[in-house]
Amino acid sequence: MHIQDFPQLESIERIEQGFEALGYICSTKIATAVFLAFQLRKPVLVEGPPGVGKTELAKTCAELLSVPLIRLQCYEGLDEAKALYEWKYGKQLLYTQVLKEKLGDLLHGAKGLAESVERLHQFGDIFYSEDFLEPRPLLKAMQQERGAILLIDEVDKSDYEFESLLLEILSDYQVSIPEIGTVKASVSPMVFLTSNNSRDISDALKRRCLHLYIPFPSVELEERIVLSRVPDIDATLRHQLVAFVHSLRDLDLKKAPAISETLDWARSLLLLHAEQLDEALVRSTLNVLLKFEDDINSAESGLVELLRGADSAA
Amino acid sequence: MQSALTGFIQLLRSHELRVSPAETLDAMAVASTLGYADRERLRDGLALSLAKSAREEAILLRCFDQYFGRELAGEKPSAATPAASEAAPAPDQDSEDARQLQDGAAEFPELAEALQSPLLQQLLEDNRTELSLSLGQAAAATGLGNIRMFTQKGQYTRRMLDALGEETLRRAVVALEQADSPLLELLKGYRDHLRQQVREYVEREYLLNAQGHNRQFMDDILRRTRLNQLEQRYMDEVRELVRKMARKLAARHSRKPKVQKRGQLDMGRTLRRGIAHDGIMFHTYWRKVRRDKPQILALCDVSGSVAAYAKFLLLFLYSLQDVLPRVRSFAFSSHLGEISDLFREHPVEKAIELANWRYGGATDYGRSLEDFAELALADVSSSTTVIVLGDARNNGGDPKLEIMQGIYQRARRVIWLNPESRRAWGSGDSEMLRYQSACHFAAECNNLQQLERIIDQLLRLNH
Repeated sequence: MHIQDFPQLESIERIEQGFEALGYICSTKIATAVFLAFQLRKPVLVEGPPGVGKTELAKTCAELLSVPLIRLQCYEGLDEAKALYEWKYGKQLLYTQVLKEKLGDLLHGAKGLAESVERLHQFGDIFYSEDFLEPRPLLKAMQQERGAILLIDEVDKSDYEFESLLLEILSDYQVSIPEIGTVKASVSPMVFLTSNNSRDISDALKRRCLHLYIPFPSVELEERIVLSRVPDIDATLRHQLVAFVHSLRDLDLKKAPAISETLDWARSLLLLHAEQLDEALVRSTLNVLLKFEDDINSAESGLVELLRGADSAA
Repeated sequence: MQSALTGFIQLLRSHELRVSPAETLDAMAVASTLGYADRERLRDGLALSLAKSAREEAILLRCFDQYFGRELAGEKPSAATPAASEAAPAPDQDSEDARQLQDGAAEFPELAEALQSPLLQQLLEDNRTELSLSLGQAAAATGLGNIRMFTQKGQYTRRMLDALGEETLRRAVVALEQADSPLLELLKGYRDHLRQQVREYVEREYLLNAQGHNRQFMDDILRRTRLNQLEQRYMDEVRELVRKMARKLAARHSRKPKVQKRGQLDMGRTLRRGIAHDGIMFHTYWRKVRRDKPQILALCDVSGSVAAYAKFLLLFLYSLQDVLPRVRSFAFSSHLGEISDLFREHPVEKAIELANWRYGGATDYGRSLEDFAELALADVSSSTTVIVLGDARNNGGDPKLEIMQGIYQRARRVIWLNPESRRAWGSGDSEMLRYQSACHFAAECNNLQQLERIIDQLLRLNH
């Protein structure tokens, strides 16, 4: 079965409009990816520099479809007990105690060992059953009745073993629990995986996903994003600041400013009641855009030219 | 259109994109979901489903433009045009030429025959659609897709022309030539136009098909050539190849070092143990997670006798250190020093040059081993792999075999890679046979393929 039919995802245009209404301005490519993910029931592996809205995409999708967003943050050492399921050990232990007390009643009147064992077998075994199962994000996403958006964030931070664990979930939307059997999603969730490329993801995993690379946006797209997120900002200033950020990205920086930084900067400038960019203003707020001392220094040295470029571009 | 898609995937494969059959199916699903009408959209969709990295995406987009640019020009309007058999004389600009030729046809039977052929009709009518359709058919008939070498271009052009039925045209030209007819130039113009078209088509096809294959071919050769015989001008290719190898190996083998961790509760074992305490679970048992911490120490001989190899070995070490954690590199000839930091701080050419400059000279294995023992023997443990890259030619000095044996006893594995062929081991001043006794594994290694295999094996055994 499919994640329920959502008219919101009917066509690429509708997705774009829906996202825009929620303040997420996206390129056609992103909308195409969401459309295909929905139509073909495939997970999307989203890659790109930090801060271009990878995680935001999943959040917006959940909002658009109004289904729960289940998020699994990956880190080194993440294992199935934290990602898939765990047994409720405490309750299991209590259950064995209860069972022990009931043992007398159960075996009452049994003759010989063979009969006792047989009776024991007849007694329902719920030690390993769903009653004692504690679902973790992945299993939880399978169990949602209306479907869900499953966000597996920063999958590149996890270990290789964990990747193999994901394979079954991503291709068949099911989870194998050795003691119980296979739990299959009644409504398969829509899955987004994000990666910052801190290591190569295995081919097996990549093969199962649509691969969406989100680059830094074009000037035009970024202006639309700023407009939608920080609507109060003056149009000239908006042109200027986007052009400035774009020229910063062309510099050789440790960490180029992403969309999230552009938005932060736009908000800061708004708070400072700035009307246009000037050198002093940029100098004092540069730390919003750039997060490394080296980067700030190299940007400051070429500041005048960068500003002139931004002015003429705007 | 489905065949167009498989053709496209063929093309991607020749450009080193691995596309599995399952992905081909995915691509078809994508194409049928999105439809073929909107090129941009199809392009995005195929990029989403077939490319697995930003680099692959760039290749794919380029291939897409190349391939579908041609494909659509050939196929799109074919449904709209009438079949070639209804060859009514074309009404517009070329009709004048057609009329002149028709007039001449009475005189020359060859020309009349040529005029009957659909080929000349298409040329006269300047019907590009029909012509490119015929070109496509001729290409399929002659197996043009198999073109690999640029030397085949002429041959395929000839075959294409034959398949198109250029022969009648040729005969007509010959007949006109003999009669020295004024129509000759006219007809020749059409023939040359056709030849030009075919030549361009073959060229395009060659570019599409052969480029990727040629690179693979080249890579294969480079891998098998002895390292000291590789020419300087191939250095860039080799460097790229080595880097690719190192990345591949690292992707397969790199594991981040991990401490032992407490895993999940082992319920079964806890219960079983509890029986001894009257069913009270006194001890809990946890499934342990064991992790290996492979460590590699690599010693590379940079002396004159192996200079040509050393360059590549250092290059390989550099790449490996780039991608694998816990690799320490050492260079030696007359004495030994650690170059890990050098590798970390400098770009590859500079680092190799510096290593050569600092540690190059006459080989003294004994002294170098002593240096190594002092520097790093304490770090050699049961999880360490020591790789020595060198020819073991010690200029008759003391080989200090006991140090090598000391390393052998402490390390998990000691591996010696010797660029000399096995037959030369032990001859002259080579101490290889003696050193070999203190190695878990010694192998001849003088081309990239051997190097890759050995390192792969080594890493596999490492955990």
